[in-house]
Amino acid sequence: METLGIYVPRLVTRRQSFAPGHRACSGCGEALAVMLVMKALGRNVIVVMSTGCMEIISSQLPYTSWEVPWIHTLFENSAIVASGIEAGMKALRRKGTSLPKTKVVAMGGDGATFDIGFGAISGAFERGHDFIYVCFDNEAYMNTGIQRSSATPFGASTTTQPAGKVSMGQSTWKKNMPAIAVAHDIPYVATASPSYPFDLMNKIKKAVAIEGPTYVHILSVCPTGWRIPTDMTIRLGRLAVETGVFPLYEVEDGKYTLNYDPPRLRPVEDYLKPQGRFRHLTPKMVKKIQQRVSAEYASLKEKAQ
Amino acid sequence: MDKLTEIRWHGRGGQGAVTSAELTALAAIKEGKFAQAFPSFGPERRGAPVLAFNRISESEHIRVRSAVTQPDIVVVLDPGLLYIVDVTSGLKDGGALIINSSKKLVDIKLEFGGPWQLAVVDATAIALELLKVPIVNTTMLGALLRVSDAIKLDSLLEPIEERFGKLAQRNIEACKRAYKETSVAKLSPTSKKVERVYAKESWPSWQELTPGFVVTEPGNARSYRTGDWRAQRPIFNHDRCIKCGICSLFCPEDCISQNGDGYFEADLYYCKGCGICARECWTQAITMVEEVKE
Repeated sequence: METLGIYVPRLVTRRQSFAPGHRACSGCGEALAVMLVMKALGRNVIVVMSTGCMEIISSQLPYTSWEVPWIHTLFENSAIVASGIEAGMKALRRKGTSLPKTKVVAMGGDGATFDIGFGAISGAFERGHDFIYVCFDNEAYMNTGIQRSSATPFGASTTTQPAGKVSMGQSTWKKNMPAIAVAHDIPYVATASPSYPFDLMNKIKKAVAIEGPTYVHILSVCPTGWRIPTDMTIRLGRLAVETGVFPLYEVEDGKYTLNYDPPRLRPVEDYLKPQGRFRHLTPKMVKKIQQRVSAEYASLKEKAQ
Repeated sequence: MDKLTEIRWHGRGGQGAVTSAELTALAAIKEGKFAQAFPSFGPERRGAPVLAFNRISESEHIRVRSAVTQPDIVVVLDPGLLYIVDVTSGLKDGGALIINSSKKLVDIKLEFGGPWQLAVVDATAIALELLKVPIVNTTMLGALLRVSDAIKLDSLLEPIEERFGKLAQRNIEACKRAYKETSVAKLSPTSKKVERVYAKESWPSWQELTPGFVVTEPGNARSYRTGDWRAQRPIFNHDRCIKCGICSLFCPEDCISQNGDGYFEADLYYCKGCGICARECWTQAITMVEEVKE
């Protein structure tokens, strides 16, 4: 599925509107994801961003990394502000003002999407605003120091659910946010990973072309929070897909397509082992995770047929 | 007021300066002393310069809560920081400066000598050998033990064991090794501080800020140097390069671009040395080497 081949410079534009000099950790998968999204979006966008890592690292006064109109809102508000901008542009057009075709993009981390801004996103999807919601999911509140969110996978050790003698880390399963987005009957939902950059950019381009609310869920590997070496970011993203922990798929008008379907999934152990946050897992827990991942993948595959 | 020892740790995010300070305080508390440990950092992340502080008092409560500006001991975990931050700022006469560096003591003395006791240890080498990672927090504790009597090794053992679990034994080993290998210069109270000039970041005053803190220059973060965070730098081997550009696609700093000959180069002004390009290169044309400053 990845037509990665060679000669990236001919295939991908260097132009993008997220400038270097941002203060993300070295090896940040989320900064890379933002960059790829911006490459696919082009210049004619208005970006609304929730509080989170990406907001903090890209906009420290008096600097900004953004070269497009960019609004920072509180944790829960990005979908609301995006709705407002879109409705405002619609109203201006109705009154005869000529505006260039501009896409509104809301961005948020997993905390903003899964927990704090959840209701607002649901509302914006339901009202059918023409905007893209991009979730950068690094599976915990990394910005404030690796606290658990409802995106944290089962068994992961976080600072609020640390693994030790009593606790085995996160005790609940990850919320299936793409499925919730699909349940809103919106025209386009997709999952992507910066380890598969062409797939990611294609999905964003698709979402831009579609009128109505679209949701793109991006797994952004966080070396700090996942406790991995900084150079493993891309590899871990790839392992997440190859083991079936984070399958790449898209849902167009309710029709599922698996974008990457290996003949055989790798065992989840390959994905869990390099990560410090899963260091404490017992074989029994790994088996439990494997069963869940296999079952979820099988049901997804069934839907895609 | 009895004797108050103040320590300032200079490290980079992720290197363990904060852990060092915490372990020091725990050890001092175990000895029946009063101690504080706290970090100080901006919104920057892993790789950015951070500070951590300790206050240790023999028998009195410590009421001061502010950052340490006039330390008795300064510990530098990353040799690269020596040229970016004035680590000796406020260091008391007769104090101690402990540096992690592969350079010899005499060379360091020429650059960072002063009316303080100078100690040098190649902690990175020790940590890489014993712990297999360049995290030097426990190793530098060994050097601290050598220079100062603020805490004892015995009282450190338990906090280290609690913090590192299975890895504790190797950390203790690294600590002991550093204690042995630290070279300490004699205190020469008359020597003068070697003056250096450091780049200063200028911040706008509140009168200059726009209403709503709107930044009117798009993408002006480009002027901000993140290359200082780097501990390793990428080296591109043109013989092996097939000019595919996968390195430029996966760079989270977007700092790798094609030069006139079609080869790829990293802009070291931004490169944070994460090593993704070296890891992802198909032909292994990129290798990461230790960053050597000056």
